[in-house]
Amino acid sequence: MPIPMDVDPVDDDPRPSSSPLSSPLLLRTVVPITREEEARQAIELLRGNDMAERVAAAHRLDAVAAILGEERTRNELLPFLSDAVDDEDEVLLAMAQALGRMIDLVGGPTHAESLFLPLELLLSVEETTVRQAAAESTLFIASQLSESDYQSCYAKMIARLATQEWFTARISAVGLLSQAYTSLRVEQQKEHLEFYANLAKDDTPMVRRVAAQYLGQMVQNVVRATGRSSLSETGSVVTTLLPIFEEFSSNEQPDSVRLQTTENCVAFGQVLSEVDGDLNESEQGLLKKVLPLILATIDDRSWRVRWTTAAKFSEVISAYGRLPDVMDSLVQGYEKLLQDPEAEVRTAATFNLAHVAKGDAQVLVPPQHPERLVKRVTSLTEDESEHVRAALAMVATELAPILGREGTITFLVPPVLLLLRDAASEVRLNLISSLSALNEVIGVDLLSQSLLPAILDLAQDGKWRIRMAIIQLIPLLAKQLGQEFVSEKLASLCVEWLGDDIATIRQAAASNIKDLTALFGTTWATEFLLPSIVDIRENESYLRRLTALQACSMMATEMDSDSARIEILPLILEMATDLVPNIRFNVAKELQSMAHACGISAYESQVLPVLNMLLEDEDRDVRFYAEKAATALDETFAAMDALIK
Amino acid sequence: MEDTADAQSTSVSSVDSGNIETASTASSSSPTPPERQQQMPPPPPPSNTSTLDPEKTYQDLEAWLAKLTVGTPLTEQEVKNLTSLARERLLQESNVQPVPAPVTICGDIHGQWHDLMELFRIGGSAPDTNYLFMGDYVDRGYYSVETVSLLVCLKVRYPDRVFILRGNHESRQITQVYGFYDECVRKYGSANVWKLFTDLFDYFPLTAVVENAIFCLHGGLSPSIDTLDHVRQLDRVQEVPHEGPMCDLLWSDPDDRSGWGISPRGAGFTFGADVSAAFNARNGLQTVARAHQLVMEGYNWSHEGSVVTIFSAPNYCYRCGNQAAILEVDEMLSNKQFLQFDPAPRRGEPHSANARKTPEYFL
Repeated sequence: MPIPMDVDPVDDDPRPSSSPLSSPLLLRTVVPITREEEARQAIELLRGNDMAERVAAAHRLDAVAAILGEERTRNELLPFLSDAVDDEDEVLLAMAQALGRMIDLVGGPTHAESLFLPLELLLSVEETTVRQAAAESTLFIASQLSESDYQSCYAKMIARLATQEWFTARISAVGLLSQAYTSLRVEQQKEHLEFYANLAKDDTPMVRRVAAQYLGQMVQNVVRATGRSSLSETGSVVTTLLPIFEEFSSNEQPDSVRLQTTENCVAFGQVLSEVDGDLNESEQGLLKKVLPLILATIDDRSWRVRWTTAAKFSEVISAYGRLPDVMDSLVQGYEKLLQDPEAEVRTAATFNLAHVAKGDAQVLVPPQHPERLVKRVTSLTEDESEHVRAALAMVATELAPILGREGTITFLVPPVLLLLRDAASEVRLNLISSLSALNEVIGVDLLSQSLLPAILDLAQDGKWRIRMAIIQLIPLLAKQLGQEFVSEKLASLCVEWLGDDIATIRQAAASNIKDLTALFGTTWATEFLLPSIVDIRENESYLRRLTALQACSMMATEMDSDSARIEILPLILEMATDLVPNIRFNVAKELQSMAHACGISAYESQVLPVLNMLLEDEDRDVRFYAEKAATALDETFAAMDALIK
Repeated sequence: MEDTADAQSTSVSSVDSGNIETASTASSSSPTPPERQQQMPPPPPPSNTSTLDPEKTYQDLEAWLAKLTVGTPLTEQEVKNLTSLARERLLQESNVQPVPAPVTICGDIHGQWHDLMELFRIGGSAPDTNYLFMGDYVDRGYYSVETVSLLVCLKVRYPDRVFILRGNHESRQITQVYGFYDECVRKYGSANVWKLFTDLFDYFPLTAVVENAIFCLHGGLSPSIDTLDHVRQLDRVQEVPHEGPMCDLLWSDPDDRSGWGISPRGAGFTFGADVSAAFNARNGLQTVARAHQLVMEGYNWSHEGSVVTIFSAPNYCYRCGNQAAILEVDEMLSNKQFLQFDPAPRRGEPHSANARKTPEYFL
């Protein structure tokens, strides 16, 4: 096969996920086939023994069809393909994708039927990915059909698939059926609903599982097509689909079918919620029948079913939250999930905590449930699983806005304090990271009063990421606590962090020093922070000295020009003679970022001589950064100079 | 002066390859993609005695480092340019490369790129912190390509701040068994990148000595080597041999039994406390620092302080549950501080841009 060297192999890569729409003809035909001879060759390759070549040829079917012309494609190529569906899956996949791009090549939508011939066969093969690609192509072609073609040849194909002997065809039929429903004539809808009902009772569990997957869509499409009357006692939702749903949820079905119960339940809830005005009697009857089914999944024998319900509980709440008299039983069920014997189920349920509480608060009845849920929170803090507690720590503070200030102080702060002192570091970390939500509700004043002791404990935590989270919290706390409090309780801690063993902590500490300087001003910073930093400059570890250097420089950028020049600049310049080159080149780096704060005269009289010395340093990295700093500062001060003039 | 000459000679190759690149793209009709435009040679500097451009090398290295520190692998062409720069640099280093203090000494990394990033978070980033890595950058972990590319790139960009030694996994034979070869083929669609790197591994120094006091190497001592001068006399530019002094340096382990023993690894030897004490005394050394063995705490003193093992891959092979450690040596050699760390928390792995590249044979 002639392949020019500049073809990117990626272009011929089959992409099962891309729909036929997104891969237009032009992109595909990277290898132009211009002569009939080459089309013939491609077909030869499709018959050949080399599978890789057959795959490549199948990808280029549309190009071949373009050469053959509409008529010969319909009369020769497509029947030929229909004989070739016993090939390897990879070839069939490419073929299924190519067929979706060929509607114009067979003469437009009116001739689309000819494409259904091979597609119908591909929709029946055993390999799922091939069937999926074929279904995508089929749906795309169907969307181009006129109403009459749709209702005749396409509907008939679905009918044939639905009644075929081999179960894979029936699986494909389920998906196509539920999508086609709204576009069919009324009597056809009836017929197709019957097909669906039969497939839902299929002997093969795989078919039933797929039918269960599409039940929600079916319900929604039936309601969309027939309107509210389908929900009445004689409507098809109640007479046909509800029994199917009840059957799917029953304990006799395999797990894989019951797994779909939650989602289907959501679909029923959604159609009921979309009804205008209050529910009439039959609709209430329907609700009364559906609700026990979802509640039953909470007690299901399979933990996967219970887990699915726990994980999707927020969707259940959204679908049913506005319906009357359901919240009570749903919240009860949810509480049960929070106490499930499996930790995975409890974790999944915990993540939906705020959603359930919020959904409940929107209902007009007086919300007692949030407080009930908070009591659950308290017991979850003692859960034996670290993962459950970690999930709880992540979402617990989201309850604060729902509970309001008083409720939060009374009910939420105590469990939060417990979580802050949890034995597992992940739990503590999750909670600290979400503290700001709490802060917004009860105010940082109260927060710091009740939590400060715990926070100060965590400032010495053995896990560095926890210390990190605390440091990042400090500027916010400091702002609220005020200068006096910080000077007394926090300043020494902040300086201590500069000597931490972990480099990232030292850096965060330096930037925290900068924030505090910005907050409380030059005088405060020189009094409470600077003396200790000056000491760290003498530390015997070059990495600690480096932190002191960086902290000095960052402070300077937040100071007024005089203080920066008098208090800080000499400290930095002194370090230019450090024995370790790393310190010397960082002096150059820091001068580059802070010298502008000291003014032009200091630059000329103090900074430049030091930079010139560093330019002659024996170490190449020092020379490099000195040069960089000199160039940058030269430009900065030239610009400043120009501005003044 | 030597440095300038080096930078100039290395940039020859990169400019040359840039030319080839432009010629081939110009012949095709497709527009030049932006990353190729970057590789086009800049106009030659006017006043210089030669037409070579260290500035270009510097910009390349900075661009590569920017990619590698976020976990994006280099393109094959970039690896080619990088390895040729690195060869020039490593060729100048000794078999017993002198390393000044202060420096942070690290052990095995084994393709655990996320944990290497954690290591830099713990120890500080290069060049602010000086580093000496004692080999085994590839194999076992899933990100050998990213890991070794980053370390080599750091070495070339900051030759006086970062030092890298050869481990027993920096070899053609071992990498074909333990993952690096397969990873290269998977990520690049061919073995070219594997060939470029394994060819470069031949140039890595075998050992280093920090301030004439701490002898650093991957494996351990060899019965054929009494003094550091013996190491200096080895011809190291070759595949790691199956036996002999060069093999031993990369394969041996300290042992509780005294004297020399047969290694259960099938290569190298085991050596006792008497051997290491004698070696240190003969060469005026304080300590032998080595890697090569999993130690649960990340570091382990043995032979009454004559030997220390450092291992820097936390939760080795993603399942051993060990801590990692690095050793910070300060400028007076008076303070030796070990920093231990756990695996980096991972929230979703970065997409590997080359992972979906289909091998040629798929056509």
